[in-house]
Amino acid sequence: MVVKNISLKQRIEQPVYSAALAVFRLFFGLMIFASTIRFWMKGWIEELYIQPNFFFSYYGFEWVKPLGQYTYLLFIVCGISALFFAIGLFYRWASVLLFLSFTYIELMDKTNYLNHYYFVTLVLFLMIWLPAQVNFSVDSIRKPSIRKRFVPLWTVGSIRMMMAIVYVYAGLAKLNSDWLLEAMPLRLWLPANNDMPIIGGLFNHLWVAYFFSWFGAVYDLFIPFFLLNRKARPYAYIAVIVFHLMTAALFPIGVFPFVMIVSALVFFDSEDIDKVLQRVKKRLWPFVPVAEMPTLYTFARFQKKLLQSLFIVFFVVQVLMPWRYLLNEGELFWTEEGYRFSWRVMLMEKMGYAQFVVKDPATGRKVAVNNNDFLTRNQEKMMATQADFMLQYAHHLKEYYQQQGMKNPEVYATVYVAMNGRRSRLYVDTTTDLAKETDTWKHKNWILAFNDNIHGL
Amino acid sequence: MKRIVYTAVLAVLVVAGAVTSCKKSDDTANPTSGLDRQPMLINYADNYVIPAYTDMLSKMQELKSAIESFNANPTQEQLQSASNVWRHAYATWQKVDLLEFGPAYDEQLRSYMNTYPVTTPKLENNITSGVWDFEAFGSRDVQGFPALDYLINGTSLDKYTTDQYANARKLYLLEVVDKMIAKLTRINESWYAYKSTFISSTGTDVNSSLSLMVNNFVLYYERYLRGGKIGLPVGAMTGVAKPELVEAYYSQELSKNLLYAALATVKNYYQGVGYNGVQAGESMQSYLRAIGTKDESGTPMADVIVKELDEALNAITNIGTPIADAVQNDRQTVLKAYEEIQDVVALFKVDMVSAFSISITYTDNDGD
Repeated sequence: MVVKNISLKQRIEQPVYSAALAVFRLFFGLMIFASTIRFWMKGWIEELYIQPNFFFSYYGFEWVKPLGQYTYLLFIVCGISALFFAIGLFYRWASVLLFLSFTYIELMDKTNYLNHYYFVTLVLFLMIWLPAQVNFSVDSIRKPSIRKRFVPLWTVGSIRMMMAIVYVYAGLAKLNSDWLLEAMPLRLWLPANNDMPIIGGLFNHLWVAYFFSWFGAVYDLFIPFFLLNRKARPYAYIAVIVFHLMTAALFPIGVFPFVMIVSALVFFDSEDIDKVLQRVKKRLWPFVPVAEMPTLYTFARFQKKLLQSLFIVFFVVQVLMPWRYLLNEGELFWTEEGYRFSWRVMLMEKMGYAQFVVKDPATGRKVAVNNNDFLTRNQEKMMATQADFMLQYAHHLKEYYQQQGMKNPEVYATVYVAMNGRRSRLYVDTTTDLAKETDTWKHKNWILAFNDNIHGL
Repeated sequence: MKRIVYTAVLAVLVVAGAVTSCKKSDDTANPTSGLDRQPMLINYADNYVIPAYTDMLSKMQELKSAIESFNANPTQEQLQSASNVWRHAYATWQKVDLLEFGPAYDEQLRSYMNTYPVTTPKLENNITSGVWDFEAFGSRDVQGFPALDYLINGTSLDKYTTDQYANARKLYLLEVVDKMIAKLTRINESWYAYKSTFISSTGTDVNSSLSLMVNNFVLYYERYLRGGKIGLPVGAMTGVAKPELVEAYYSQELSKNLLYAALATVKNYYQGVGYNGVQAGESMQSYLRAIGTKDESGTPMADVIVKELDEALNAITNIGTPIADAVQNDRQTVLKAYEEIQDVVALFKVDMVSAFSISITYTDNDGD
């Protein structure tokens, strides 16, 4: 379909089969639905959002809190709208509701931050604006007039772009000396899996950790380009499946591998996907609402202008986000200032140990804090390696002891952190009263220096 | 464009191969040795845990017969002899306390055996009322070794002879020991069945044997050894000495020995020394050495931990006895020992656990 030698502007308007967008919508929605059910079945709603009596907020989103027992309702809304989204029923409403409920859930406690949840949030945001319901949807049965066989390339293209950003930045993040020259953290993580059947024994060999590290970096950097290439695509997709199944077997990363395997289908030629749908309709199930007439979905002129500007801003932000760490001094892996929202996935083995002491300046009385009285194990684990968590926790302790009648509680922390196999060292200045510090976008100068170098991005 | 991409990929793969083969020289001759977890689990189960519980149980049975003799013939000599047996049993407990995983965890053994300080008014009230229930909520502090300490070393003989509650006291004394024996007997029996589960769960997930053993070992070290035996009495965090919190309060010259014995046990256990004191086999140390993390100077972390434990053991020997006095009169020496013990908390809890990559929860984690 794509004609060469035309301007980029014309090119992104080229019609492609809407089947690509529709099939992506179906699978992506089903994945979120399954993920919601999984979350519920594992008891994580209770464990992560109801049982804790304190939650770590994102900067600027302190007002987003779990809703007590109504948190279940939130997950029900999320699950049902994911299902509606998938089958394309009341698509606009479903996509907005899904985006809002999913994002709200993710914002409730940053302890549970995962890059793939962030990825889902971003894709859902894009999907709100895209005409993913014009084919292969219940809406197109309700209103056959919306059925369109073609959509402009930039609609499908923006999903591909989002996927490519994730992969390429995940690859760029691996271009550092720890990953490439030390095979860290895989040289620690792989032997932990050496009791896996058949291939387990391989993980005892150091060269395997190096091979996985380098292969992972190359894979992430180049897979989107191979997926875009018609000839390379079948092999690339096999690589996608193998790579992600491998990570699923080795690491506790939940549904992420399957989300990526399914999402990568969006790279397939839309004409091929359309052919599959036509065949399904003809051979298997004639009721399937598949667009057959060569009709093109068109945006109203001002609507298109608005959307394209929105998307341009969106992608500019996405492309710049991972570089924001350059504005801060200090080693990124150590301070984690600018670490999140940057596709830095499975990059570090980091563990900490934090002992907080609250001091009453009036009496000199000191209390040693037992973290388990305030935080879950998961929260404690996250808090013990990340300065913004420590700060929020310190302020929480301050408030707690104020309620206990202490006038101006001072909060001090002794924190040891070990990262990528290095010996643990003190992480924050033990003489800084953290109750007096505030969270900003600037470097926290009470984080002690890393005293080693990690070269690269 | 395409050609550039392919060339780039090829180049990267070649460099990858080159680096991989260079780095291979660092690799030990037989890289698989030491990284298998099962030999370590078998060593711990066979050479330490099972003999430890067997010995602990037999020590408690000796104590029971000593107490029965005393009850039949309550003289100062008999009391002294029971006290001696109690000391041996308490010293043995220091070699068992760190094993609170599997059956001992299910039985909450430590809380029954060694919750201190003993709450004497509550205990006395039990005796005078003639009613007690060691399973009742809030009854952990009137049983176990600390209760025996009070009853044997902190109670005058006439309470067992002329006192109107003498018989109730004798019965209480005996039943404290019986309760401990009952607990240990169940654990002893459970371990024979649990052993196969223990040695076959070779993974590193949250319920794997390594994770259960290490996490509880680290918890013990931090909270019960560092915190209970020295940190709380010296008031390391609070700055206020609390001599009444020492272990073995009614035989205070013992507290330091118990602390030393507990720390020596931690070192031995970490190194895979068997319960009989003979180096037995694969251990946390050998596993950590096989993983190969090092400090800034290139010393394996596996050895750094031993060095720091030795320093801590040394620092303990400098404390004057009893600890209850030293925490008030010679705080600097006690605090120094506390700091040395504290240094190892981070090494165990952060460096070792991180190198082992054992999980602490089931939740998804994309590794930060």
